[in-house]
Formats: sequence, structure tokens, C-alpha cells
Amino acid sequence: MLTLYDYELSGNCYKVRLLLNMLQVPFTARAIDFHPVREHKSDWFLKLNPLGQLPVIDDDGLVLRDAQAILVYLASRYDESGRWYPRDDAAALGKVSQWLGFAEGLTTTAGAARLHDTQFLDVDIGKCRAGAHALLRILDEHLWFAEQEGQQWLCSVDHPTIADLACFPYVMLSEEGGVFRMPYPAIRRWGERVKHLAGFKPMSGIFPAATLTPPGGSPPIPG
Amino acid sequence: MNRWFPVSACGEVAPNSVAHTQLLGQELVLWRAASGMLNAWENRCPHRGVRLSLGNCIGEELRCQYHAWRFATGSGQCTHIPSHPGQKPASTMRPMVFPVFEDGAFAWVNLTPDAAMPVSAAEGPGLNLRSIFTVAAVATVRQLLLQGYAERAVNLVDEFTLEGAAGPPLGIRFMLQPVTQGQTIVHARLRGAIDAAQRLPLLRTHNARMTAVRDRAEALSAC
Amino acid sequence: MIMSNPVNDSPPVESVLWDDWHPVAELAPLQRTGILHTMLFGVPLTVTLAADGAVAVSRHGAGLPDRRLEHVDCRYGLIWASLGTPTRDIIDFPETRESDRIVCTGGSVGVAVSGLRAVENFLDLGHLAFVHAGYLGEEPYTEICTYKVEPLPEGGILATGCRVYQPRPSPMDSQGFDVDYVYAVRRPYIVALLKANPVEKERMDMIALLAQPVTEERCVAHVLMAYPPHNVDSASLRWFQQLIFGQDRPILENQIPKRLPLDPRAEISIRADNSSAHYRRWLASIGVRYGAVPIGAS
Repeated sequence: MLTLYDYELSGNCYKVRLLLNMLQVPFTARAIDFHPVREHKSDWFLKLNPLGQLPVIDDDGLVLRDAQAILVYLASRYDESGRWYPRDDAAALGKVSQWLGFAEGLTTTAGAARLHDTQFLDVDIGKCRAGAHALLRILDEHLWFAEQEGQQWLCSVDHPTIADLACFPYVMLSEEGGVFRMPYPAIRRWGERVKHLAGFKPMSGIFPAATLTPPGGSPPIPG
Repeated sequence: MNRWFPVSACGEVAPNSVAHTQLLGQELVLWRAASGMLNAWENRCPHRGVRLSLGNCIGEELRCQYHAWRFATGSGQCTHIPSHPGQKPASTMRPMVFPVFEDGAFAWVNLTPDAAMPVSAAEGPGLNLRSIFTVAAVATVRQLLLQGYAERAVNLVDEFTLEGAAGPPLGIRFMLQPVTQGQTIVHARLRGAIDAAQRLPLLRTHNARMTAVRDRAEALSAC
Repeated sequence: MIMSNPVNDSPPVESVLWDDWHPVAELAPLQRTGILHTMLFGVPLTVTLAADGAVAVSRHGAGLPDRRLEHVDCRYGLIWASLGTPTRDIIDFPETRESDRIVCTGGSVGVAVSGLRAVENFLDLGHLAFVHAGYLGEEPYTEICTYKVEPLPEGGILATGCRVYQPRPSPMDSQGFDVDYVYAVRRPYIVALLKANPVEKERMDMIALLAQPVTEERCVAHVLMAYPPHNVDSASLRWFQQLIFGQDRPILENQIPKRLPLDPRAEISIRADNSSAHYRRWLASIGVRYGAVPIGAS
């Protein structure tokens, strides 16, 4: 049974929980006492991940850190459709990796701003918020043009990839760090589409979609 | 102020969806019922003041995210209070409703609740460009556009509307939405017959030009 | 109404708040770093912990002399301070003295809203089935039956007879049941909740929200918990509390206005809002203005 070292309010842990749910991979969550105890910086946890960060998975002895790396592994190992991480399509794979890198930028800007405002993380809050807005502008423009070509997801026309899950949490939690999303309507529509995916579950701070009917009225989108 | 302002391209708010905008400092929840009716209400639930833009569209009603009170499309009347399910809510329990008008291209809102609907012909053939959120005062944006756009003259139609040629046979119309004192949304539409193959290239070309205007306006505002 | 020291050129903060004790830090993070910076009523504070365990709180700020605060204490795993001169003790939580209880703080959280709004949200029952669906309530059990609210002799309000069906009322994976709730507000910015324990139903789990008024529109939500020791430990209590409060926080941060309106005509109250109506009336009656929109103000 796969073990996920998890913190309920971590956007990076949530990405992994989302994919595990959508791929219907059973797992045990081992809760780490993050705030204010900082168990993720304790000696025993540093042996598991010397960076002292969450999430970490242990899949039958394979220990992996880094949310994006875990998404790559889970999709490659457990997704029989091959759509979440399209290994057979070099161009598509390049695009996914590009947005996985972008997701890391969201963590260090919007994610850091959120931890500053909620748990008093010592960061330059003005710089984090400005950095987050710069990324959200790029994301909104990308998604708007994608919509113009009938494309629903970050990297592909008709099915999400791990890039969508990687970017979703810190975008949707950005307002908790004072990064408001009224200027980004295409991001709003994309967020709603993610919420309608089969196997979607909310986390604290992200509201669930109202019903199974996505905006526009069509039936649920299979993951 | 008794004046109609554009708040969104019509296609940006699909049926069964909820959006958030702001006009002259007044926050608005912009939502479209399943039937297609578009609503613009003050963005504040009359119960405990929570932003209605956090809520969900359920058929012909908007449901507040806090206590799930429901408000009917059109009138804004509260139809259901789950804490007291058997009771009929009083008709006074409603957010402020603003008049909305759609001309086939854009949705227009007037902050005077009993304003008369505008008398105007539906928009002719053309193409809505991507709306550009600009952190600058409407006067700054207006002045920049009046200096010319795409090396062509731009003329003032009224305080919030400008027109120019966009490369014959097309014209371009800019419509300014004053969000707050320091924020403006620039809506724009190409007018004239456009064939399908030209659509995306035109969208990209004008997006690049308009974001350049945005960047200049923001640089000026930062001084 | 007695007014106290003005802060910079803002209006003075009323004595009922200024001369009282307020939580300003959680002890655990202070033990790790030795120093924390925070704010109370707009006044910047520095909290330090010496090697011998002595806690000190100093205030700074433009136009005011730097000064060590005289009234500082450590209680319940929190650091308490007063910018004025308290005439009564720090609030008492008798459940923390029951020797078998797990007593711990919950992880303090910054919130961009008045602490009075945070207290009122804690009192609110109508949102449990929606904001905390699957935990503290669920559809179709949304109806809030009439409950009783009465004044407390020493000041404040007490709400009893509240009962809500909760599928998962506490960290344990227990069966859902109809949970009895009691709320006590004894200070403007502090509320204690007592709810029936899933295993020992005659004993009550105690959770208190202690809001530190950073400014009129921002607070730190400190949490104190004292639970009978059945199937819980401090880590699981913190996990559950942070999950639940994490659901409330975006709602709180999206309330307009950020300050709590005390005029009953400003917002609509229904019968389920009995606690909230009494709370707002009580605040107005004792002269609370900081963090509120007083009656008659715009």
C-alpha cells in the first residue's frame, strides 16, 4: 500500500492526493504535524527527505520527494490510458514539463505568499505577490488562447494532464495570500473545469463545484 | 452614475457559471442562469456579507457559499434558506440588482438600478478581442490610445469609447470599463467581415498590441 | 465609556479592550526561534523568550516611545499581554485543569478580517452543513432548531440547546450523531465551544477561538483545545482543527465589510442567528468599537 506523507493544508500534497483519487490508487496518508510543530524538519523526517519538505511517497520501498516528480511517477506507473503523462509524444511531454516548471514558480510565489499570510512565513511578501501576478497573467493569456482553439486544458485539447493538477492548487489558493484573481477570467473557467473532473475532491480553501453539470451544460468530464 | 458600461464579452460567461467584476468601485457578481439570463448584482450576500461571486449557479438560482441561501435569477429574491427550510423568505432579503443589457457582442451594466434599457441595434459582424485588465486609471489608458493604435489614428466617441481603423476594411472600437480609480479593463472589437482563417492571427496580433498599451499605461502609472 | 492611550493619530481604543489581556503569540514557535514580531491594536510588538524561560513583550511604532509591556503572562501555551492596565485576570478555561484531558493549542492562523467576525463565525450553526460538509454537518440535516441564548452574569453570552447532526464531529473516525453544542463568549474577542464527546457523551470537548486584534480588519486566530483522551492526541487535534478552520478562512476573508456591523439593520438575521444577534447587541452595550462598525457609523 502506497504511503503518502501528507499535510492537509499543503497545496503540493493536495496535487498528489488529487491524482491518486483520479487514478483510483489506494493509499495511506501519514499526517505530518506541520504547524506549528514543524515535524517535517524533524530528524526522522529529514532522513526520508533531506530537504524537509512535503509531500513524500513511499510506494513499496520506492521513496520519492517533490510533488511534480511524484505526479510523473504516479501517472507513468498507474495510468493505463497514458493520457495524464503522454510519454509517447515528445512534443506533448515537453509541454507538460514546461508547465510542471511553471507550477514550481507558483509554489514559490503564490504558495509562499499564502504561507506568509496564514502561518507567518518570513518572506518578502510584496515580491511574492508581484511574482504571482506575473505568472497568473501568463497563465490567463495562455488559457484564453487555448479556449479560442477549443482547447480545455493547459497542454491538450480534450484531456487534462498532470500539468493541470500541478498548477491548480496554488492558483486556486492564491487569494489566501492576497493575490486576487478578478483580473483572470480564463483561469476561473479552467478552475471550474478541473473541479468537474471525475475523482475531484476539494481541500480546505477550495470550494467544490456545485453539481456534476459543468458550465455550458454538458455532462461530467471523465478524467 | 446613469451610464452603461461594458463588463464582459458575452461569450465569457457561459450558462451555469459565475464571474466577478467591478465597475467604478462597485463589486459585481456576474452570473448566467441555465436558461441564459445574465445577472449583475452587488457582490455581497445580504445575510452576512459574503461575496456572492464565491457562490454557485444552480439552474435558475445563485447559491451563496456560506449558508447556501438561494437567490432567483432576474429579481434577486431569496427563494430558500436551508436553516429554516419550511419558511418562505421575505422579499426584502435580496442583494442589489443592476440592469444588464447584451448586444450580441458585450454585456453592459448600469449602476443606476432603474435605468432604462438602451435603444440600440445589435452589433454587426466582427470579432471580440481579448479584454485586457490594466492597472492604470481610465484617463491614462484613454490618452495612450488617442496617441494612435497600430500606427493609425484613434478618435474619441465619448469619454469611455474610442474608434479607429484596424487595417481596411476593418474598424476597431475600444470600450473602457473603469474598475476602480487605478484599474481599467480595455474591451475591444474589430468591426467588419472576418473570415475564419483570419480569426486567430487577428486575435494574436491585437492581443500583442493591446498588451503593449497595457504595459505602457502601467509603467506611466508606476511613476 | 473610558478611552485610553491614542495610537499614533488613530482614535483611542476603548478601555474595555485596551485594558484587557489578549493573546499575542503561540508558545511553540516562540520556543523555537526565541523571538517573534506581531501587532496588537495596530501597535507593533516584539515577543522574546529568554534562555531561562522569561517572556518579554515590547511595543514600538512611529510616534510612540519603545517600551516593555508591564502586563505579560504565559498561559495555556499562549503568550498574553495588555497594552493598558488589566482590572481582571486572563480568561479562565476550567476544562484545561482536568488532569486526563489532552490540552494543546491548535496552530495560530492569520486572517484578513476583524477578529469579531471570526468569533461570530465560530458561533454560527447554519454554515456547518455546507462549509464543513462531511464533518460538522451535511445535507439534508440543515435545519437549525430554536436554541437558547442568555446573558452571563459576569458579562458575555451563553448559548445552549444547540444540536446539529455531525457525520464526523472530531478527529476520530466515529459514527455520526446529533451533537449537543454550548457556546460561551466571556470576552469580546474570545469564544469557547463545548460539544458532546463521541465516546463519553456526558463530557464535552472544549475548543476555544481566541482572536488577537492585529488591526480593525485583521486578526490572528489562536486556538486552545481540551479534549477527553479518547482516541485523540494533540497531533490529530491540530490536524482536524486546521482542516476545519481552513474551510472557514476564505469565507471570513470574503466578508464585506471586514468589520462586524453592530447595527441590526445592516445585515439580515434569522432565527438561526440567535447567538450572533445577542453577540452583536452585547458588544454594542459594552461599548466595543474596534473591529466593529458601530451603530450609527457609516
